[in-house]
Amino acid sequence: MIITTQKPLDEILDFLSPYTNILIAGCDGCTQPPRGLREAQTLAQLIELAGKLRGKNFNIKTTTVPKQCDSYITLTTLEPQVKDVEAILSLACGLGPQTITQVLPDLPAFPAQNTVFMGTETREEDVIEERCAACGDCILALTGGICPISRCAKSLLNGPCGGTRADGKCEVDPEKDCAWYLIIKRLEKMGTLSALEEIQPPKNYGQLVTGRVSKY
Amino acid sequence: MDMGNDAQKQVGVHINDSSCSRCFICSSLCPFDAIRKDPETDKMVLEIEKCQTCGLCYSSCPAQAVDIIYYDMDSLTRYLEKAKHKYASDTLVIMCKGCAPETEVVEKMFGISEFVPLSVPCVGRVPENIFLKAISSLGMKRIYVLACEEDYCRFDRGSSVATRKILALNLLLDQLGYGRPITLKQNSLKVTVNKDKCIACGNCAYHCPYGAATLVSGTADIDEASCYGCGLCVSLCPAFALELDYWEGDRISAQVSSLMSGKTKPEVLVFRCQWAVFPSLNGTTDPDVGIIELPCAGRVDALHVLEAFDKGAEGVMIAACPEEDCKSETGSKEAQKSITALKKTLTQIGMDEKLHFCSVSPRYPGAFDDALREIKENLANPSKETAE
Repeated sequence: MIITTQKPLDEILDFLSPYTNILIAGCDGCTQPPRGLREAQTLAQLIELAGKLRGKNFNIKTTTVPKQCDSYITLTTLEPQVKDVEAILSLACGLGPQTITQVLPDLPAFPAQNTVFMGTETREEDVIEERCAACGDCILALTGGICPISRCAKSLLNGPCGGTRADGKCEVDPEKDCAWYLIIKRLEKMGTLSALEEIQPPKNYGQLVTGRVSKY
Repeated sequence: MDMGNDAQKQVGVHINDSSCSRCFICSSLCPFDAIRKDPETDKMVLEIEKCQTCGLCYSSCPAQAVDIIYYDMDSLTRYLEKAKHKYASDTLVIMCKGCAPETEVVEKMFGISEFVPLSVPCVGRVPENIFLKAISSLGMKRIYVLACEEDYCRFDRGSSVATRKILALNLLLDQLGYGRPITLKQNSLKVTVNKDKCIACGNCAYHCPYGAATLVSGTADIDEASCYGCGLCVSLCPAFALELDYWEGDRISAQVSSLMSGKTKPEVLVFRCQWAVFPSLNGTTDPDVGIIELPCAGRVDALHVLEAFDKGAEGVMIAACPEEDCKSETGSKEAQKSITALKKTLTQIGMDEKLHFCSVSPRYPGAFDDALREIKENLANPSKETAE
């Protein structure tokens, strides 16, 4: 899932300040926890409270979109609701405000979130960890299903480095597992450790240039 | 509550050794192993930290050696005498808060609309004498009892103790020529899913402490038998697809509105777990304080808290059970987490000092009033509270 964190209320209020009639659009898609209708209503309350303290009365409506990264779904969900709306505040990842801008070009669309990474939750510790860096050249088949690009501090292809701690943690962050420690343990268990004997050539980070396009 | 007194650590339950006959009934009935015999002194000892104030010991002690703060014989009698006139009815309904938060449950279960209501935290705590007194000296013709289903009793044995008591009482009253005037029914409240609203995010399945919520063919599904009715999933559902009977989001919103639009607008609005504080039967309340009871602190909803601020509450307090006393596993802990997160957000607009979370237990009857006093003092003098 895509992980986002809420922007400071002050920042949101700053860019909403020229407008009064706002539509907050949640996204039921992959943000975690889902920033759906409940989150939209909660943020609406917070903005109204914060607005009053600044002497501004907002008129806020709330809705939610099944997934804001789909232009058709976003258009068909939002279009019937934007009469009299001056600006849309999106609770989705960075894709949301852009899809809205694309399908409703006459309305300003703002982000309520900072998009931080793609990750998975670990239930025991109640945290969400980054698990994919969208590097464009997946090597999980070689590394036992554990990604060194997103989980190793140095994104090493031929690890580990000399900084693995005795308890299998990373020298950069003692709270974090050393990805290569996990990879070796895993390959040992699967009986495929010898696969690491082959040295991986430098990765083609040319794949990582921005503005990537995928045709369907 | 009026029982704060000046005692520093007044406790909710106490064994009076001079009346105790060492019969062990209390010790064998206590669902929490809080009462045992001290081998050295031969006295029955109550470990107050283990006690959940269910009152089963009080209602079952043949020697009346257990003193209890809440719903003792005297206060129950006084309440019934007053209530009989107030409601002008000869039908008494004794209902457990756990399964009957509103009197409309009674109408639904028994089909009656005029009655004297007596709401208690567990019907197992009501002594036999009260039933007999109601029939003999207070002129009650019928008594309806609404208890939680035994598997969902927050005090483990409360419902089963009530069932046995009522069976015996009916036999006794029958022999005395009163017929069998007591009718017992059991009920439990469940979460329902609105599949049209569900977005299949799995939040409920992730958080349900009872494993009752699962994702089946793309929507949430609640297994009725496993659902304990704590309402945690309802507060966490991002799509408002879940509701718990009688604790629906709209119903709580309406309570917030009605309390905040009353003639005397309360200064502080309290969302409190119904197991964290047992209210006094005499019904006196502080006009500065509005109270909304929840099935568990886990049902506390950031939206309702914000609504209260929006409608003019100076302060909002969440009263939960201590984590280890939580009657629904993780409810208190999750409530604290969500309120801490909300408080952090409110810091951004300088309103964090208006929101308080406290853990209280009925075993210390003064604890809730103390917490209230503290929040009121902080609101009156905000600079006193320094950043944590």
